[in-house]
Amino acid sequence: MDTIRNFCIIAHIDHGKSTLADRLIQRCGGVHDRDFRDQILDSMDIERERGITIKSNTITLPYEAQDGKTYSLNLIDTPGHVDFSHEVRRSLMSCEGALLLIDASQGVEAQTMANLYLALEYDLEIIPVINKIDLPSADVERVREEIDSELGLDPFEVVLCSAKTGVGIDDVLEAVVQKLPAPVGDPNAPTKALLFDAQYDIYRGVVMLVRVREGSLRKGQELFMMHSKKRYTVEELGHLLLERVAGKELGTGTVGYIIAGVKSVQDIAIGDTITDFDQPASEPLPGYKEAKPVVFSSMYPVSSDDYEDLVKGLDKLHLNDASLTYEKDSSAALGFGFRCGFLGLLHLEVVQERLEREHGLSLLLSAPSVRYEIVLKTGEEVAIDNPSLLPDPTEIETSAEPYIKAAVMMPERYIGTVMELCRERRGENTAFTYLTPGRVELTSEMPLAEVLFDFYDRLKTVTQGYGSFDYDMLDYRITDLVKVDILVNQERVDALSQLVHRDKARARALHYCERLEETIPRQQFKIPIQGVIGGTVIARTTINAFRKDVTAKCYGGDISRKRKLIEKQKEGKKRMKMVGSVEIPQEAFLAVLKSDAGK
Amino acid sequence: MPSLSTEANRQSDVPLAGLYIHVPFCSAICPYCDFAVLVGGHEQRRHFVDSLLLEIALYADLELSGLGPVCFDTIYLGGGTPSMLTPDDLGRIFDALRRTVDLTADAKISLEANPEDVTSASLQAWRRLGVATLSLGVQSFDGDELRVLGRRHSPEDAIRSIKQAVAAGFDSVSVDLIFGLPDQDTSTLRRNLEQAVALAPDHISSYELEIHPRTTFGKQHARGELHELPEGQQAELFLLTHRVLAEAGYPAYEVSNFARHPRYRSQHNQKYWRHVPYVGLGPSAHSFDGQQRWWNERHLAKWQRQIEAGHRPVAGRERLSTQDLALETLMLSLRTVAGLDLSSFEARFDFDLVAHNRALVEQLDREGLLRLHDNLLAPTLEGFAVADGLAAGFSLQGLGRQAVRSTSRSIDKRLDRQV
Repeated sequence: MDTIRNFCIIAHIDHGKSTLADRLIQRCGGVHDRDFRDQILDSMDIERERGITIKSNTITLPYEAQDGKTYSLNLIDTPGHVDFSHEVRRSLMSCEGALLLIDASQGVEAQTMANLYLALEYDLEIIPVINKIDLPSADVERVREEIDSELGLDPFEVVLCSAKTGVGIDDVLEAVVQKLPAPVGDPNAPTKALLFDAQYDIYRGVVMLVRVREGSLRKGQELFMMHSKKRYTVEELGHLLLERVAGKELGTGTVGYIIAGVKSVQDIAIGDTITDFDQPASEPLPGYKEAKPVVFSSMYPVSSDDYEDLVKGLDKLHLNDASLTYEKDSSAALGFGFRCGFLGLLHLEVVQERLEREHGLSLLLSAPSVRYEIVLKTGEEVAIDNPSLLPDPTEIETSAEPYIKAAVMMPERYIGTVMELCRERRGENTAFTYLTPGRVELTSEMPLAEVLFDFYDRLKTVTQGYGSFDYDMLDYRITDLVKVDILVNQERVDALSQLVHRDKARARALHYCERLEETIPRQQFKIPIQGVIGGTVIARTTINAFRKDVTAKCYGGDISRKRKLIEKQKEGKKRMKMVGSVEIPQEAFLAVLKSDAGK
Repeated sequence: MPSLSTEANRQSDVPLAGLYIHVPFCSAICPYCDFAVLVGGHEQRRHFVDSLLLEIALYADLELSGLGPVCFDTIYLGGGTPSMLTPDDLGRIFDALRRTVDLTADAKISLEANPEDVTSASLQAWRRLGVATLSLGVQSFDGDELRVLGRRHSPEDAIRSIKQAVAAGFDSVSVDLIFGLPDQDTSTLRRNLEQAVALAPDHISSYELEIHPRTTFGKQHARGELHELPEGQQAELFLLTHRVLAEAGYPAYEVSNFARHPRYRSQHNQKYWRHVPYVGLGPSAHSFDGQQRWWNERHLAKWQRQIEAGHRPVAGRERLSTQDLALETLMLSLRTVAGLDLSSFEARFDFDLVAHNRALVEQLDREGLLRLHDNLLAPTLEGFAVADGLAAGFSLQGLGRQAVRSTSRSIDKRLDRQV
């Protein structure tokens, strides 16, 4: 156990996390140069492109240290976004230490702070690493000072490196060995292992990533999942180098994988505690939280012919993503689709993008909604996350909506604007505390629905990127809920209907009308766009007709060219949905979801 | 196979086709023009006519697929500036045509001419050669506008040429105008139209200035030196043109074409709009046989090389699908006053257009853009102005599942209906 180190790298986006991981892997011979590619731990295209990590990943690096001993360094790659915070937490729970990576020219930034506090919550040992020291704009001394004053970490513990050039990589590895503690745990106690993530392998089924806390895991062992109460037999286990390397046992303190005949990620609960069936541990590990979808939206294929592909795509994503839920839905405007549940907006975007990219689908999404709890006059209680299912207002006794506890960390100078933003978003009990001089944490109890709609974008804008944001679900509170419908040319577009607080209805309806006015192409006739509650118009805009588009000449026989122009126009319409006699482009359904911050 | 034709030996189901000849020469290139044109000397023009005669010979035994031997009743010389060819050269072309292809006895010849080429001598020569319709490239009666357009004639030339042409005894005289110049307002346009009407031509074409990327205007536009008229003003000028000309006794029969009596409508151009077969000779000319469209090499030298090697100088062709034909029919019909004959559309394409576009048709009718009556779908004046969008708005989904029905009979019928 003394030669094991479990650690992760935490960093603000673009501070070089993936590059450092790549370099550590290369230095330890984890990969042949010919197999090497950048961002080696990010296996999905979307992770590589966006430079974000969505799924956790892990790799065991054999490292011969200066003290002559060979260590097993388990690098656990973590996602870095608030939507995936439950995954981050579980990854952090499997580490003893973290490298806090800071860009030598950018210095300490919002995400640096948020990640540090998250790591400290799990009692991780932190090694500050200043990266990109090769940059001409690098200012190591200033960053060192920030580490001292803003983060409260020891500036003399800082390791300097350039992941790009490879300078200082050995120092980083030595610091991991010397400064991070070895795992502790009783090897003789009953087995207790944290299931911190799972991947789906088409040949082997579910591959579970685990951190052994106490006791050990052995091939052939009968396992018991302490939360889901299921029983499995270990078929294969071992360490993850770049590929799985099977072994006989995973000892106390190690990180590795188990294959145990689990058919689908739905069957297991990430965060569960794995124990021995015959000699179970008495208590599971603390901190288990079920990942429940909190954001709901309907997805429709732009072309109804693609419905079957959407089914296949969702089924396939679901294999690897237990937090995604979906059920059949249909819309008068958009046809058949699915009502899906997500962990947050980024999760939604990622799912959409993967469906579009990996399955060649073109999708339309309805406005994201939270789940409301409605009590009817009859006393019956219903949960509603789909505007079209809202009971008639006269039948509703009370409505309640989910609240979160939002935490925003930021430099002191932004406190005024952020408090104003929280107030705008119906925040209650807003309070702040100084973390260090100049840096505050603001907490506010806010309706989740207010966060769904462009809160994160607005926060980034008002804090110039220095505000970091995290939240926990709190409770349900009574609210004044109304359903806003959007009429395009007098026809209701059900996919644009939404549930909002009465005070926000007008502004939201106007936002929708304005975005639609900008994105629906002008047609030969005037198109009124209205936002209504019941029969009352609360917002309206008009798209003026175009009056002249005809090309003058259509002679000399070159009719083909002209036909092709019209075909092109028609082709453009294929990505549109016909509502009555108006074509609504896909962009319009997306644009309404976009913030109008900065406009 | 040369044939001296008479209408008597013509098979009854052979449609009367149109013949177009593109003369690619101009004395200077107008800054707005994107046709295949070049400035050529006398020798080059003579060489062109030699090549053209060879091309005509290549069409001696012309049969159009599915239609059999073809007979022409219109010949149209456009360009470019056909009036730059000498009467001698024009005569060689007409002789070759009469010798080689099947023409009706009363085949009508149209010739495009620039005002500066119009003299009493040239007019007499064209009359002698059998030109029935003279189409004058006047464009404007305003000196400033003519300069902007890079024309080589003065307002006085324009007026004189129309007067002389009208007096020369052609079947019909047509005047081409351009509107929508960058700074044009309603009063300059109105003066142009009134001047044209005062000279009493039989036919007027009024085209809106279009800025094409490869032209001088296009480049100036890209550099921000030339601005297109805003859409609202374009609409205003378009509608004004139609109203002024209709009031003066020249109702439109197509988006850009006006005649003071239906008999002065361009027989030849209407063929393009009605899917009647046509054959184009000369660089860049297009041909259509009811199912296929093909087009000649655009560059004079390439066109000539092909001909001299004994090949028809075809640069490309396409076979039109049922969908293509239906879309063209829709788009072309909605540019005409007559509009779309729904029963012949359904007979031809086995597709009930209105049933498939009920909501759109009702909306367009409510908005006053289209009228549906007597099984005709006809654009209103405001509808004319947005005819491109009208055509693009219709759904043709489901059309063409069955093979298109034979077109020849309906073509004949439609020809018979021509006034």
